[in-house]
Amino acid sequence: MRRYLDFIGNIGLFAVHAMRRALVPPLEFQMILQQIELAGWKSLPLVLSSGFALGLVLALHTRTTLVQFGAQSEMPAVQSLAFFNEIGPLLAGLLMAGRVGAGIGAELANMRATEQIDAIEVLSIDSFKLLVIPRIIACSIALPILTVFMDVMGLAGGYLVERATTDLSLQLYLSRAFHDVSWAAFIPPTLKTAVFGAVIGLISSYLGYTTDEGAEGVGRAATNSVVISSLAIILIDVVLVKAIFFLFPETAI
Amino acid sequence: MNGGALPAIAFREVTRTFDGRAVLNNLSFEVAPGEAFCLLGRSGMGKSVTLKLAIGLIQPDAGAIYVENDNIVGMDEDGLSKVRSRVGFLFQSAALFDSFTLHDNLAVPLKRLRKKTPDEEIETIIQKNLDDVGLGKDGHKMPSELSGGMRKRAGLARALMLGPSILLVDEPVSGLDRVTASEIDDLLLRVRKRDNTAMVIVTHDTREARRVGDRVGILNNGSLIAMGRMDELEQNQNALVRALVSEAQ
Repeated sequence: MRRYLDFIGNIGLFAVHAMRRALVPPLEFQMILQQIELAGWKSLPLVLSSGFALGLVLALHTRTTLVQFGAQSEMPAVQSLAFFNEIGPLLAGLLMAGRVGAGIGAELANMRATEQIDAIEVLSIDSFKLLVIPRIIACSIALPILTVFMDVMGLAGGYLVERATTDLSLQLYLSRAFHDVSWAAFIPPTLKTAVFGAVIGLISSYLGYTTDEGAEGVGRAATNSVVISSLAIILIDVVLVKAIFFLFPETAI
Repeated sequence: MNGGALPAIAFREVTRTFDGRAVLNNLSFEVAPGEAFCLLGRSGMGKSVTLKLAIGLIQPDAGAIYVENDNIVGMDEDGLSKVRSRVGFLFQSAALFDSFTLHDNLAVPLKRLRKKTPDEEIETIIQKNLDDVGLGKDGHKMPSELSGGMRKRAGLARALMLGPSILLVDEPVSGLDRVTASEIDDLLLRVRKRDNTAMVIVTHDTREARRVGDRVGILNNGSLIAMGRMDELEQNQNALVRALVSEAQ
């Protein structure tokens, strides 16, 4: 138990240190852009294909149920609300934890094991500002954008099912999909993924940057980055959903 | 050695423990400007820790460490940055940045710390340093494409980019064959002769210590058990000292 509390405490201190260092100029803009490319652009194929596949599966499942109640015309609205509110943000977060979190954990742990982080410090460069801050910022910028793509592909998958079964026009599908969706149902859940991104960047960076187990620590950092980041964003999601319901009561269905 | 000059590096009763185990115990020594001082000892005796203390990567539990005139113990990051800009460090693994080409590895120190240096001048310095270590045509290569000896030479070229007055070298020939090891030693000797750079070289290779070091310190269980020229150490009363220094005769 004490080990877990120590870990949470250390992550908290690491987060405070990151926030303080992030406020001290200059920021490593080139590094941030490079990390956005790695975390965002290179995750796009995974997010697009996953979103589309999940959109198909969700539509196939919900359609059967909705038909039983004679509510098949609500299928586009169910699809959009499901993706905008929860599936898009959470799935994009979990995918990023898997792909990017593991990468950050392994890369930084490898840099630690091969003394590259020491070499950066020896060159009078602040390794924390160079390696950790850009990754946290990049994840928190890239994830909301990926979430929007995930939402769009989820709707596209749903449309394919509707088109195949009812010959519904795209215009009518979109009209029904967005009829019940207010900005409040789209913006807060999408923006909450900035927090997910920051958490993924923070936990993965912490595990990689602070490892002292040599080569063995690289694999451990990668695995733990995925597991702990995934668990953390699911738990934080509970809190953020409650906060969104409190701040935007109309989004609570 | 420049007798009477301010030491390039001085350790004064430095102690450092890890998990309750004293890795260094009241360690004291001085290295004069332009002198090559070898720390010789078996594995796990605190040699690499000594180098990391000398550049402030870790802090001692007690004692003082002077780099030229500055005590770096308890020094803030800004102060350490200034000190580090005068010190080069060749890591045991060379610690080249994996995602950069060799050229870019060498460019980092200048682009980061000498921001006003024109690009043409940076290119000239990089090419000169690569030529000096025999890697003039390999600047475009990634570290993964380099052999062990080439990586060490590249690490040395990067360590020399800012023209340091002190060079810390961690196990420069470990894992290398005798011929390549000899080439690395030649490079260190050439750098010292050309730039009058003070060097602290950590090694377990007695042959290297004999060839490169002006003086040799024998580190055992965190303490210097003997220090002096190789010929002096050969006469030492301590059997371990004699065994270590006679290894390569």
